[in-house]
Amino acid sequence: MAIIQTEGLTKYYGPTLGVEDLSFQVEEGEVFGFLGPNGAGKTTTVRMLSCLVAPTRGRASVNGHEVGVENQAIRQIIGILTESPGLYEKLSAWKNLDIYARLYGLSGQLREKQVRRYLEMLGLWERRNETVGEFSKGMKQKMAIARALIHEPRVLFLDEPTAALDPEAARVVRHFIAELKTEGRTILLCTHNLDEADRLCDRIGVMKQHLIQVDTPANLRQRLYGRKVVLHLKALTEPLVAAVRSLPFIKSIERIDNQLVIGLDNPEEQNPILVRNLVQAGGQVQFVHELRHSLEEVYFSLISGGQVA
Amino acid sequence: MSRVRVIIDKEWAEVLKNKMILYTAGLMPALFVVMPLVMLYMTNKEKGSLRGMENITSLPAFAGMDPKSAAQILLVNQFMFYFLMIPLIVPIFIASYSIIGEKQQRSLEPLLATPIRVWELLLGKVLAAAIPAVALTWFAFAAYAVLARFVATDLVYAVIVSPMWLLALIVLAPLFTVLAVSLAVIISSRVNDVRLAEQIGGLLVLPFVAVSIAATAGKILLNFQMFVLGALAVALLDVAVVYLGAKLFQRETILTKWK
Repeated sequence: MAIIQTEGLTKYYGPTLGVEDLSFQVEEGEVFGFLGPNGAGKTTTVRMLSCLVAPTRGRASVNGHEVGVENQAIRQIIGILTESPGLYEKLSAWKNLDIYARLYGLSGQLREKQVRRYLEMLGLWERRNETVGEFSKGMKQKMAIARALIHEPRVLFLDEPTAALDPEAARVVRHFIAELKTEGRTILLCTHNLDEADRLCDRIGVMKQHLIQVDTPANLRQRLYGRKVVLHLKALTEPLVAAVRSLPFIKSIERIDNQLVIGLDNPEEQNPILVRNLVQAGGQVQFVHELRHSLEEVYFSLISGGQVA
Repeated sequence: MSRVRVIIDKEWAEVLKNKMILYTAGLMPALFVVMPLVMLYMTNKEKGSLRGMENITSLPAFAGMDPKSAAQILLVNQFMFYFLMIPLIVPIFIASYSIIGEKQQRSLEPLLATPIRVWELLLGKVLAAAIPAVALTWFAFAAYAVLARFVATDLVYAVIVSPMWLLALIVLAPLFTVLAVSLAVIISSRVNDVRLAEQIGGLLVLPFVAVSIAATAGKILLNFQMFVLGALAVALLDVAVVYLGAKLFQRETILTKWK
């Protein structure tokens, strides 16, 4: 079931285009990544979906609530991590979370329980009485994530959650997002970190003011480059290449030293036949692996107008 | 209203961490209490302290009075004006710090993404600045009124607690506070430096100082009717600046147009 739906969503800031004609769906429990260069409209999209700015055209709904009509209902079920943590630097960690818990209407014991739960979960319990201005960037980001989760939202918008963090802090935040995924929350993740998107997202949407493509990272790779396997042979001779070429399912063949890069539709079924054929022709196969294009290659190809199948 | 309360609590928690605001908010009322008391005491004790003010009884407002009482009433009136500056200055300090502080910390976006309504946020911020300002004004005046009893003559004391000044403190002070907070919201939406906002907001006292100088110079005769008209004028001004402030204080405007 789609928990986020948009149709022709468009935003202009005066004469300046933010995003145009955005139509996509995010399924419940899915981690959906938005990839795009600066100014692509990722933050604008998140702001429209979290009822912070109004769409110029089109419509959107979150959990069945229409943006612009039932904004209060939407705000109650979403959590947002903005580009910068936006914490009250002079207040303690506890006070920061307590303020938000109260704004979401959590009362008494539940409020205390939630604040404690997230401070403990993110390893900040011992420092709960310290002012957050003294925290490291990573700790502040954890605080901002805790704040976004304090009311247990069904939908979470994460805008650049690991930007400006050192590798260790980024890793901690990524692990935490992966944990959230297992809890069945729907997460919309805006990121420049393609490796992060590849690891965390079920599907990604590549955008540059309009949506270029939406699919799983694996499908996008396949649609752009097809599927290829690399065979390392002890020695590669012309008869071996001819033996491979003779197979009817071979889509492409490329020779690099003692390696063959072969395009296939269905490597799971076709690899055993291919290897058997090579061995029967006298080839000595050392390794076989699938050629995996990085998401970075996919991203740059799409952004620069690459066509997908 | 519970969310308004959360905002007020948050604002006060932040203000209490800022010593500069606390000193400013505390020092000014303390000075305005102590200074007139010292001057009343001095003018009672030392004849020389009134030198140069002998001709004061030639002003229409002091006709028929003895020079000492006339001079003391002049001083009292001037300091009563100073009391009315508290609700103009203190809220500008608090509100400017509050709004620009949010801008600098970039805390407005996550806050606006919560179910808080914009009017609740604005009201919370207005009350967080207005309540201490009005309370300080009233508290300072109450302390002054009690202590003045010991140093002022009956005639002078009657001026201090006259209906004219009580009206000013009870009605004008809150109206001034609303004016100051709304202007602070407008100014803070355009600048990113707390001190600059305070300096611009501080210009608000200039017309007020002009009125006080004119009154001291005898150019304006202070009376109850004049204060009623003044209160009405400030109330009208309040409506205009509150409208402007509320227009600027919209989710999308805050996120996209505030500098």
